[in-house]
Amino acid sequence: MKQYTHEELQKLAAKIYYLDEQVYMLLGSSLGRVFNIGRVNAIEDMVEKMEAGEGYVLRSELALISNMARTIQNDQARKQLMREYEQILNEVMELPDSQIHADILDKQRAELLSKASFTHRFGEHDHFIICIERAYGCGGTGIGFEVADKLHINYYDDEIFDEVLKRLDAEKDYIHDHGGFSYDRDALNKAEYIYADPDEVAFAQDQKKGLFQRLKDFNRYHGLSKRDAVFFNQSELLQNLALEEDFVIMGHCASAILTNHNIPHISIYLTAPFDLRVERVMHGNKKINLKQARKLVKKQDDTYGKYYEFFTGLDWKDAVNYDLALNTAAYGFQGTVDRIVDTLRRYQN
Amino acid sequence: MENLPAWLCIPFAGLLLSIAIFPLVKEEWWEKNRPIMVALWSVLFIVPFTALFGPAHAFETVLECIVNDYLTFIVLLFGLYCVAGNITMEGDLAGSPRVNIILLTIGTVLSSVIGTTGSSMLMVRPVIKMNSWRKRRSHIMVFFIFLVSNMGGCLTPIGDPPLLMGFSRGVPFFWSMHILPILIFNMILVLTIFYFIDRKNYQKDIREGLMPDIRKPGTKITLKGLHNLIFIAMIVAAVILSGVLPDMAFMQNASGEVLGIHLFGEVVLTVPAIIECVIILVAAGLSFKTTKKEIRIANHFTWGAIEEVAVLFIGIFITMQPALMILKVLGPQLGLTRPIQMFWVTGALSSFLDNTPTYLVFLTTTGAMKYAEGIMTSLGYIPYNMLLAISCGAVFMGANSYIGNAPNFMVKAISDENGIKMPSFFGYVFWAFKILVPVFLIDTLVFFIR
Repeated sequence: MKQYTHEELQKLAAKIYYLDEQVYMLLGSSLGRVFNIGRVNAIEDMVEKMEAGEGYVLRSELALISNMARTIQNDQARKQLMREYEQILNEVMELPDSQIHADILDKQRAELLSKASFTHRFGEHDHFIICIERAYGCGGTGIGFEVADKLHINYYDDEIFDEVLKRLDAEKDYIHDHGGFSYDRDALNKAEYIYADPDEVAFAQDQKKGLFQRLKDFNRYHGLSKRDAVFFNQSELLQNLALEEDFVIMGHCASAILTNHNIPHISIYLTAPFDLRVERVMHGNKKINLKQARKLVKKQDDTYGKYYEFFTGLDWKDAVNYDLALNTAAYGFQGTVDRIVDTLRRYQN
Repeated sequence: MENLPAWLCIPFAGLLLSIAIFPLVKEEWWEKNRPIMVALWSVLFIVPFTALFGPAHAFETVLECIVNDYLTFIVLLFGLYCVAGNITMEGDLAGSPRVNIILLTIGTVLSSVIGTTGSSMLMVRPVIKMNSWRKRRSHIMVFFIFLVSNMGGCLTPIGDPPLLMGFSRGVPFFWSMHILPILIFNMILVLTIFYFIDRKNYQKDIREGLMPDIRKPGTKITLKGLHNLIFIAMIVAAVILSGVLPDMAFMQNASGEVLGIHLFGEVVLTVPAIIECVIILVAAGLSFKTTKKEIRIANHFTWGAIEEVAVLFIGIFITMQPALMILKVLGPQLGLTRPIQMFWVTGALSSFLDNTPTYLVFLTTTGAMKYAEGIMTSLGYIPYNMLLAISCGAVFMGANSYIGNAPNFMVKAISDENGIKMPSFFGYVFWAFKILVPVFLIDTLVFFIR
């Protein structure tokens, strides 16, 4: 039985995707299609299945497409697509049980390894995007801003959240958002050390509301929770932004979102020892005592950690999810900035 | 008919196995040869039946089930399929666990108002559409079948055909409202399970980068073809008439038999059945005449789903006959005297047989037990708990397989046509076994143990 190369499988997958697209277009239906995860992801997914010897899954998906194709009203178009379907089906039937060659590398591992080096990550037309996640109180916001400044690219944080709220036609209340951490709008030192009830974080569960307000929110957020609606909108905004410019983005699960949409970027995680972060928070906000500060740092971390896990399925604090993980306390503010910039400059187009 | 051999049920089992296995192993072949396989299994029942009981009796049996069971069944399904296919919803409400729970709740309640078939046909497309952005959708349709296509129909005789039969035998119209606490209890259980399953799948979808299109502020939902609700009301009225008219004096001859066209032997196409079919077909025709084609295109309206159901169910109805005949003979001899027995036996049989005759067999059995008190019906007194158990068993457990209730297979077929990979026959039964059987066990402990 013929062994297919990765490129051949990609071509076959592209044909299947195109067939699904054509069928859906010709039907004029608004009830959905078989592959709704975007071209690149769908093709990758199919190739993965074929390589893993799961051709039978693909055959059942093909059968779903043919179910839909058979209902096309236009005889000529239906026949044409059914012919294409038959050809593709024959090719899929020809697939061996397993496409895995004995000497091939673990794909995930290979991917991880290629992530360790930024060299080939960015294509000629890709923008240089840096996604920073940071533990609460480690000085990440300032570091991110400084990195952007040194690289002469834009820095995004609150702006994303504000834009999303504008899109959703939602009021801002008095809480703003910093990469997933809330801050009080009137706080003098809002950029770094803030004190707000984490339950009021935009991403936290909705507060108790009356029926009217609930209905209003139901309509405003398309039946979703505010958290989910904000996430979906910021995901889309980020993708659009990634097509337009180089930038540094703080928080917002940006790295996971861009990875899902195959947009090249570099991910960085900043953290510092818990006690030092507590100290910084107290230093920045004289109104709170040690106990409150400890509680705040822990709660903010937990809230964002849960939020991150919900939308990405990943552990926010796990260094393996990032290209670069730094302890800001080991290098200090400027040292961390310099270290990041030095590393990134080598690969900036 | 007392000595009907059990092996005559083999063609029925064979047909069910064909429905279960062929789509898995020879899907393409099954698609093309479905009618042939249905005909083959039907012939495999008819030939030995003819050899045993003679051609006249065999012809009468087949004709009886086609005219009096299948005809009204398929016409009702066809009518609701046509009319519901002419109503479309456009909007950007995003399918999420919360929205799905709301939709399933609306559908469940609606089932008792316009019937499980009507509600299923009306709600299936909006549910598919709102969840079209998602990859993992089949579980939503499975729970849709559980709740909207089955359980929801328990509150009124319009909801599900067995209850309509009960109504025509003297069970008061609103008596089924006594099932409300059980329905609410089950909805809480099933929807809670659904929430956690859907939430997990929703998370998986999001984590793969899927997202709904909610760029515009505010949700806009537009319903088109709403005038078709009038035709749905017409169909519901036709169903009620079919239950009420046979008992009216003017519909009966001097010997008390329902008027109709005599076809063969004792097979009569009754006037109420003709009236029901005519009203439904007129409603379907008017619906098509008055609705723009664009609505059907947006709904991806095709004849495929109804054709599939029509072909499969004619075979199911024919080959099911020996099982029903055996049930009629054995049912009263089973010695079922407690609600718990009635609930499980009626339910287990309704999972794979037509739930209307199953319900009638056990209602008649209970009526013949000469109870001195209970709900007064034309079959005798039926104790409250027994009626509750028979009704719940027949209605709820229709959800246990794709063939347990009319809309189940329709929902599956429509989902299959719209890019949703539904579980296989046994896959679905496994879902029911995992989710519904524990719920029914809890029901037993709470409501039927006495």
